[in-house]
Amino acid sequence: MKGMRKAISLWNRGHWKDYVFSQGMLLIASLLLVFFISIGLGVGNILQRFLSSDLPEEQVRVTPLGVQAGFFQTERGGSEISDAILDSLSSLPQVERIDPQVYAHVPAYLRGLLGGRNYYTDITLEGVTDAFVPDSLLAYTDWNYTLGDSSTKPLPIILSENLLVLYNAGFAESNGLMGLTPDGVIGLECRVNVGSSSIASLQFPPINVRAEIIGTSRNTALFALAVPIEFVEEINRLYLPESEHTYSALMVTAGKAEDVPEIVRYAEALGLSAETRRGIAQKAEILVGVVIAALGALAGAILFAAVASAIHTLVADLKNRSYALGVLVALGTKRERLVSVFAFQIFLMSLLTTVSGGLLGCGLSYLVSTTLLNLLPALRVAVSSIAVFPIGWLSAGLGFVLMASTVSAWFFFRRILVTPVTELLRR
Amino acid sequence: MIEALISAKAIVRTFDNRRVLDGTDFQLAQGEFVAVTGKSGAGKSTLLGILGTLDPDFKGELTVNGVNTAEATTEQLATLRRNFLGFIFQDFHLLPNLSALDNILLPAVFSGTDSTERREHAAGIISRLGLRNDSTPTRFLSRGERQRVASARALVNNPGVLMADEPTASLDEESEDVLFDLLDSLRREKGFAIVAVVHSKKVLARADRILNLQGGVLHERHA
Repeated sequence: MKGMRKAISLWNRGHWKDYVFSQGMLLIASLLLVFFISIGLGVGNILQRFLSSDLPEEQVRVTPLGVQAGFFQTERGGSEISDAILDSLSSLPQVERIDPQVYAHVPAYLRGLLGGRNYYTDITLEGVTDAFVPDSLLAYTDWNYTLGDSSTKPLPIILSENLLVLYNAGFAESNGLMGLTPDGVIGLECRVNVGSSSIASLQFPPINVRAEIIGTSRNTALFALAVPIEFVEEINRLYLPESEHTYSALMVTAGKAEDVPEIVRYAEALGLSAETRRGIAQKAEILVGVVIAALGALAGAILFAAVASAIHTLVADLKNRSYALGVLVALGTKRERLVSVFAFQIFLMSLLTTVSGGLLGCGLSYLVSTTLLNLLPALRVAVSSIAVFPIGWLSAGLGFVLMASTVSAWFFFRRILVTPVTELLRR
Repeated sequence: MIEALISAKAIVRTFDNRRVLDGTDFQLAQGEFVAVTGKSGAGKSTLLGILGTLDPDFKGELTVNGVNTAEATTEQLATLRRNFLGFIFQDFHLLPNLSALDNILLPAVFSGTDSTERREHAAGIISRLGLRNDSTPTRFLSRGERQRVASARALVNNPGVLMADEPTASLDEESEDVLFDLLDSLRREKGFAIVAVVHSKKVLARADRILNLQGGVLHERHA
């Protein structure tokens, strides 16, 4: 080992700059590779997280065409789904069940304590059946509620995580309020006031009920505060008794997933919009694919430049010193000894450099992730970290960088070793 | 019968269909100093390259220290060069970033045979050749100094045969005498043989035999 160190020291004398540069390029290549894999996959996860849906494969979400379900449909008017349409869809043999969604056409607000501070916000109530309640909650949740229950139990609320993201990204940030996470809101108790809000009020006296957020949902059909459908229909009847009974959206469940396209065709023929899990997934996949491809292309270009530079420097360094190798061989240095010295110099040092670059890349990814999460609280709801560290991918990537650079150098080195000494000495 | 240190028979070496060596025979006995002369381009360096096992691309039979080079592996030939042959190349072939001592010890370092004794031995040769034993890279040395470093490197392993390609080409007369006085002294002391391509009459006068390479064949020449 001592002899090896001395040999490497002599071999590199006057060439340290080239050697350090080549190892530096390798370090940068490894760092960039880990950074882009880590952040790229992390961004992909975030996009998937935002775009994914809990919509089961055999369900179709039917909404009026051109209307984004749930967004502030508190006023009557606009296109909504009538009982006739519901009956028509129900008559389809492929349909097993229909779960309607009804928006409260009544202004409402919510008041409570959040983080020790009084909290107030206008809300839209969205009446849904228990089909929208996650199975994990149904086991111990009673999703039936009418005004008559207000004295005995709180109004159960399922909060859309999409709404939570909007809250964090917009309202909370602009008002200096703390961001909320799904786990952080479950169990929060509040008061829901129906019949008036900061922007509207009705003639009928407001009704105030105790409420509790019992869970969150990633179901893309939910855009507001989901409560039992009986409650919403009750207050709609109470405040607007003359109004026609309509639905904001229908969740149609097919008997089999294969029947979904037929239901979609039928709903579209009725002038409605029909969305399926596959449709949502396809949109998400395309968007995620485009983002990942763009990041991948950028990463690939930078990585290619760094690896090519590392290879070029390693090979150029050897090429410049083929004469010196010739001298060593001429003076009787065994090729196997040269192989072991250069194996140490090329493989071992490059391995250390690549691992160091990888670790630095992990550190950089972590730093970027932490900084972005601090700057963008909305992201904190979706993920705890933007950077992900898939050991397999990272190892494979670093292995590629290491192999690409060292194997190229190694092939060149072997080529020098089989070149006749007299030819090497002529260079 | 005393076995020759180097024995070459019917050596043929061709470059681009031109026979530079055309059936050359050569014998070298222990302790002998053989000088090779010839016109420029006659193939003197080529002959030394073959005798020194640096150039395997020839026809004929070559035995060095009892080893038939055609049957030896590259590793065996490397061992032969390291332990039995010493080279003073025409272009020195020193590594320019290394000092004289490091150049001299380079083969030993790479072979894992570097030792304190070897360093002291190398320092002694440097001193006897009138060289500075400091860290100055050889690229800063004069041509004559580099020639002497190359000579010291060839001698450090106590070779059985010293192969020298115009070893005094860069030296003034005084340095030429110093080098060959040392070589003669060491030759008497260690008993090694010398094969040298030389032109200097003074050096030729020291040789036991003079061979003139002409038409690809060696001819004995009387001093």
